[in-house]
Amino acid sequence: MRRTRVAARSSGQPRAVLGFVMALPPLLLIAVFAGLPIVLAVGYSLGHTGGLNSVTASYAQHQHVATSGWGTFAAYREMLATGRFRTDVAVTVLVTLLSTAVVLVLALGIALNLRLRGGRVAGAIAALGVIPLFIPVVIASWAILTFYSTDGFIRSVFAQVGLDAPALGFKVVTIVIGSVWTSLPFAVLMVSSGIQSVPDAVIDAARDSGAGLLRTTRSVILPMAFIPIVIATTFTAIGVLGSFTVPYFTGPNSPRMLGVDIQNYFAAYNQPQQAIVIAVTIFVLASGIAVLYIWANFRSANSKDL
Amino acid sequence: MARRLTTNVLLTLFLALLVVFILGPLLWLGIRAFATSWTYPNLLPDGWTLEWWRKVIADNQLSTAVQNSLTFAPLTVIVSAVICLPAAYAFGRHDFAGRKIMLVGIFATNAFPKMGLFVTMASMFYALGLMQTVLGIVIVHVMGTVVFMTWIPAAAFGAVPRSLEEAARDAGASPARVFFRVTLPLALPGILVAMVMSFLASFDEAQGTYLVGYPDYLTMPTQMYSLVLNYPLQMAAVFSILLSIPSVLLLALAHRHIMGGQLAEGFQLR
Amino acid sequence: MRPTVTHTPSTTTPAGAAFSPPAAADAALVLQGLNKELGGRPIVTDLDLAVARGELVCLLGPSGCGKTTTLRMVAGFLAPDRGAIVVDGKDVTGLPPERRPSAMVFQSYALWPHMTVFKNVAFPLRLKGVGKAQIAERVEAALELVNLTHHMGSRPGRISGGEQQRVALARALVQEPALLLLDEPLSNLDARLRVKVREEIREIQQRLGITTLLVTHDQDEALSVSDRIAVMNDGRIEQVSAPTQLYAEPETEFVATFVGSLNRVSGTFSDGGFVPGPEVTAVRPEDISLHDHPGSATFPVRVDRVVPHGSFIEVVLSGEGQTLRAFRSGTVPVVGSQVHARVERSMAFVDGRRVS
Repeated sequence: MRRTRVAARSSGQPRAVLGFVMALPPLLLIAVFAGLPIVLAVGYSLGHTGGLNSVTASYAQHQHVATSGWGTFAAYREMLATGRFRTDVAVTVLVTLLSTAVVLVLALGIALNLRLRGGRVAGAIAALGVIPLFIPVVIASWAILTFYSTDGFIRSVFAQVGLDAPALGFKVVTIVIGSVWTSLPFAVLMVSSGIQSVPDAVIDAARDSGAGLLRTTRSVILPMAFIPIVIATTFTAIGVLGSFTVPYFTGPNSPRMLGVDIQNYFAAYNQPQQAIVIAVTIFVLASGIAVLYIWANFRSANSKDL
Repeated sequence: MARRLTTNVLLTLFLALLVVFILGPLLWLGIRAFATSWTYPNLLPDGWTLEWWRKVIADNQLSTAVQNSLTFAPLTVIVSAVICLPAAYAFGRHDFAGRKIMLVGIFATNAFPKMGLFVTMASMFYALGLMQTVLGIVIVHVMGTVVFMTWIPAAAFGAVPRSLEEAARDAGASPARVFFRVTLPLALPGILVAMVMSFLASFDEAQGTYLVGYPDYLTMPTQMYSLVLNYPLQMAAVFSILLSIPSVLLLALAHRHIMGGQLAEGFQLR
Repeated sequence: MRPTVTHTPSTTTPAGAAFSPPAAADAALVLQGLNKELGGRPIVTDLDLAVARGELVCLLGPSGCGKTTTLRMVAGFLAPDRGAIVVDGKDVTGLPPERRPSAMVFQSYALWPHMTVFKNVAFPLRLKGVGKAQIAERVEAALELVNLTHHMGSRPGRISGGEQQRVALARALVQEPALLLLDEPLSNLDARLRVKVREEIREIQQRLGITTLLVTHDQDEALSVSDRIAVMNDGRIEQVSAPTQLYAEPETEFVATFVGSLNRVSGTFSDGGFVPGPEVTAVRPEDISLHDHPGSATFPVRVDRVVPHGSFIEVVLSGEGQTLRAFRSGTVPVVGSQVHARVERSMAFVDGRRVS
């Protein structure tokens, strides 16, 4: 399948040049409006305040300016010495891990149920999991906050029978709930597409060889859907790691997720350099996850058996 | 038999919980748009009214935000399509040096948190005079759509069987005619999904718009931030429903293709 | 459990000779009154079949006749609406596929692409909890059987279709199944390879004496490998016979038409030539002889067309208001010439049933 598709691409010399040229515009756009700012940002975080950074530098409070040619780690040292920042990094990582794990379990459950049991109910469950894709995150965050907060639905229901349920508004748990809610659709689409494309015959063959459903899932379905599962995992993790809206609306003031910290340092404290140090921290963490994604993709391209 | 019953019970329970988890918050918020007031711990509001709808529609600032959102989102989709679709065709149909690296590169910047990007983008936009301009906002919005608008159509173009194009060429159609009569129609579901996703991304964008557009250009999601803090809950609820209408309409339009795997296909780089 | 795939060789039987319908008691596989509806349409109706130990029975029929559905019911992927499936005297109707003593070779081979050839073949043994050393030994023996030991470490995507097919066969054989099921095992191979592989399959099947049910729509394949053939049509078995018998003495018009070529005319051939009538007379092309001069029971025909097939010639004839095809070897008749045909042997059908 994969092989024929790659083979179907034309690679003649003039057409290759044409293809390259046609592919350039989005890359140039990204290079200019994301690549360049990122480079500038990293430079600024190292204390380079000149050039395009001068506007930001002109109003920045508490700024570390580079004293040597390559710059200074003063801003990083300052942030890392802050207990608050360290806690926030830990919370961000924790929320990311928890949300990703829950999303993955839900997505796998929904997708496997759709694949192995099928039917209208399984289809309805999958469709349900995709609904959040179409709800703006701002609304989702706010809806979730009101649903779980002190006078929210959950507490109201418990109060009907005289029970006092915990208020979940502005808690780290609420961030996890919100992140799971907003991340679920992509994971469901990705994982079910991967699992749906495992051919019937291959599953039948495993059962015929004596494998029960669990074993078939573990030894045949999951390995064959490995790439889409990795993609779902990495994208979910990267998304949650850098998220702003969900933690901003639903999370506590302390500890905060790093995405909210960036906004605070930038807008509230007027410390853009520190904001960027936080952004670079997220970027480093996210890059680690992205490597997994790229590795999985290239692995699949190199071994054409899958 | 007993085992099947147990799984069925568990499955029904799971479905019920999922319904509450996914739809509960939306309903809880939606009902509020028609509530006079709401006393804890009642499960229904104290009374029903359409007053809040009238108030939202009468509010100048809010209706301007609606107009802005409905302008920027289609504009973003068009600009993004013009920039990205030729590239998507190239990625799907041509093989050239660095193709895969370029495909990954389109995504690479997404690993950098948006908030962090906007912070530095701001100083660049000042320098380039893009602050408080339509162009500046469109750039911010288009940036958020590039991955969708390139990856998904690229997979769709790549999946069009070569033999169908060759058959059309063989029948005497010119390359342009083959593209518009064969390739494009076959790749259309993927392009449609990309456009829907891009529309939603633009419609959802708040921080960048706020940063670049404030105070001249405010869209619906940016207004949501201040609404939640400064207006009665019910008005925010009304606004939420308004903000969800385009999404729900698009859901109806593209639901089949999105569930059918067009989106998922795009994220598996080939 | 025996350590390797060296099954006790059964008495090797020449194709289509020794097997007669087994008594239900000593049959390796018995299908009793199987019925299956899918989407409100009957797919298999009142199907009975008994397969003797070591026998290869072919389910032959056009697409949609219910042969694959039958096979999938035997494997356990579909539950029959009514009826029973008995393997080696044990009713397996209610068992899921993983607990049935059968092993299947799938039309698409269904090899697991993420496992090497070795791991594909070893997987069923690992599930049974066979020890590592034994697995290695038995997998190697199975791969040797299909001549693939040199591909043990390859991924299925890297070997040819014919080799994949043989891996699938090895994966089934390594389980030492009481019953081997083959679902159109050769349909994805090119014509030349198909003949070679089907001979290999038959050879291995006979050597191991393994009871086999094979599904195909290809009459050549069925005729060349089977001990007996069950011809299916519309969810029912029309006839179960040894290949030679099936060809020579078809019991129904469908069987006669589906297996081999056939001239069909409404009427009868008698000494005076052709007499139109209500019943269907069927004549195999090789049962029409051509003569230069009129003789007893000949009738004059014109040679319309000559189609060479290599080893024989197909002659299209017209006469008595009918078009007939005859096969002959030797001299090629001249197109347009007048010759005399004699029907050496014919069959008569009324309402689809054979009457003479």
